[in-house]
Amino acid sequence: MAEVLTNAESHDEHDHKPHGWRRWVYSTNHKDIGTMYLVFACLMFFIGGGAAMLIRLELFSPGLQFFDPQMFNSLTTMHALIMIFGAIMPAWTGLANWMIPLQLGAPDMALPRLNNLSFWILPFAFTLLLSTFFVPGGAPAGGWTMYPPLILQTGAAFPMLIFAVHLMGASSILGAINVIVTIMNMRAPGISLLRMPLFVWTWLITAYLLIAVMPVLAGAVTMLLTDHFFGTTFFTAAGGGDPVMFQHIFWFFGHPEVYILILPAFGIVSEVIPTFSRKPLFGYEAMVYATASIAFLSFIVWAHHMFTVGMPLAAQLFFMLSTMLIAVPTGVKVFNWTATMWKGSLSFEPPMLFALAFLFLFTIGGFSGLMLAIVPADYQYQDTYFVVAHFHYVLVPGTIFGIMAGVYYWLPKWTGKMYDLTLGKWHFWLSAIFVNVLFFPQHFLGLAGMPRRIPDYAVQFTDWNRVSSIGGFGFGLAQLLFPILIWKCIRSGVPIGNRAWEGAHGLEWELPSPPPFHSWTTPPSDAVIARGAEH
Amino acid sequence: MAAGLEASPEQRRRVRRSALLWALIAAAFYVAFIVMAVVRGTK
Repeated sequence: MAEVLTNAESHDEHDHKPHGWRRWVYSTNHKDIGTMYLVFACLMFFIGGGAAMLIRLELFSPGLQFFDPQMFNSLTTMHALIMIFGAIMPAWTGLANWMIPLQLGAPDMALPRLNNLSFWILPFAFTLLLSTFFVPGGAPAGGWTMYPPLILQTGAAFPMLIFAVHLMGASSILGAINVIVTIMNMRAPGISLLRMPLFVWTWLITAYLLIAVMPVLAGAVTMLLTDHFFGTTFFTAAGGGDPVMFQHIFWFFGHPEVYILILPAFGIVSEVIPTFSRKPLFGYEAMVYATASIAFLSFIVWAHHMFTVGMPLAAQLFFMLSTMLIAVPTGVKVFNWTATMWKGSLSFEPPMLFALAFLFLFTIGGFSGLMLAIVPADYQYQDTYFVVAHFHYVLVPGTIFGIMAGVYYWLPKWTGKMYDLTLGKWHFWLSAIFVNVLFFPQHFLGLAGMPRRIPDYAVQFTDWNRVSSIGGFGFGLAQLLFPILIWKCIRSGVPIGNRAWEGAHGLEWELPSPPPFHSWTTPPSDAVIARGAEH
Repeated sequence: MAAGLEASPEQRRRVRRSALLWALIAAAFYVAFIVMAVVRGTK
């Protein structure tokens, strides 16, 4: 809180804000830092998306067209690292920064200087990571999973990759600490844990996951670093090490990471669907417990990523059944979202459209996940395009659509202006159509046996690859509407009042739009909380 | 200074204490997995 006081002393007297570059570089304001996170995430989304376009371009036809296999593998590796650590996670942290203090009636995050540090680590991490394209040996090409011994063959980029991953991890851990400390200590009087909005709940649970697993990734890559440079043999079989142990450690991080990427989307959808159904969320407490159950289960399913590596039958059964168990709390959530809409007065503005698409398409990704959980079936699917289709259904119409729903929901609050709803609907429909054209055929390719991470393929896979590539180009072009819409909104949007959406509830809607630079400088009154905290 | 931005000493203490606690937990996970790998490697 000392940081809050310092910030307040210097700036709050007349609610003026610093100007020029100092406002951003030295910022301790949660809204400014949230904006920087979101802009950074958007930039990374387009860089990572650019890599995806190049991948789809290469795969448009069989044979090598544009890239040698090394470059192709670099593109897939960097696409994953940029999208996961550069686009999705910073987007969630940006939304958390903007919304958690507003939704809890808090004046700012609990640790504003730490918040500044968490953000400013990221541009350095990604400059380092992206500059690997220009060093001898090229960018990392061993996959985002960084399995040894393959990753140890990376050239000059290796220490840059490891340091970048460490920086990203440090940024995430610091951000998570800030979120937990804010939620546990800065709630306005009267906002008990079970009166918190679902977005705050899902972020709290996400932050616990981050603190538990990001250090595990850091530990794993530290061991890779010492194996490479200091003669240790943690994962080198020739020296008595065990490369499979890296996979266990990595996936102990990697599976909860999937939930780190998706849980805040559950929170957003739980905010959006009640608003546009004009009904309270069905089963609020069940949603909280379901989120916590999913988070707990995410720690005991990691080896389903490694069935073909070889493990005892009992372990296979355990990981298969524990993975399937996740369908239960996830099913609770899907049921509750559907029940919220039941007999509601629905309207279909862009946030609701993205939330509905999330509901249908994320469920498709969940179902293919259940198929992959079946050990004997997984032996068939492993390392095919079926897996690529599965996790892209979870991460694109799941996570990315969740982020879009959140941005379209709160953008009027942030800017004080309503955006062009028609353009938003165009963005939605083009995205929703092309995302299916892009990823659904990849199920067929995988089931037909096309391996993932290859720049060339047998000619019988050509047709569906072309369909998929056309979907990819369409999806990529459709995303250009998003920055255009935001620019138009800022420049010429129609001013709105406190509440952008008729059915919206929550403390954030009790503030003016846009909220003042320092909001909730006095905690909300009981009456405001009662009005705002209806679920 | 706006009243809401003032934090009581007790709240400051709680913020500092919980931030340190979670930082320590993160550090413990980092060290524990490396120690686990070392122990396993020396068996």
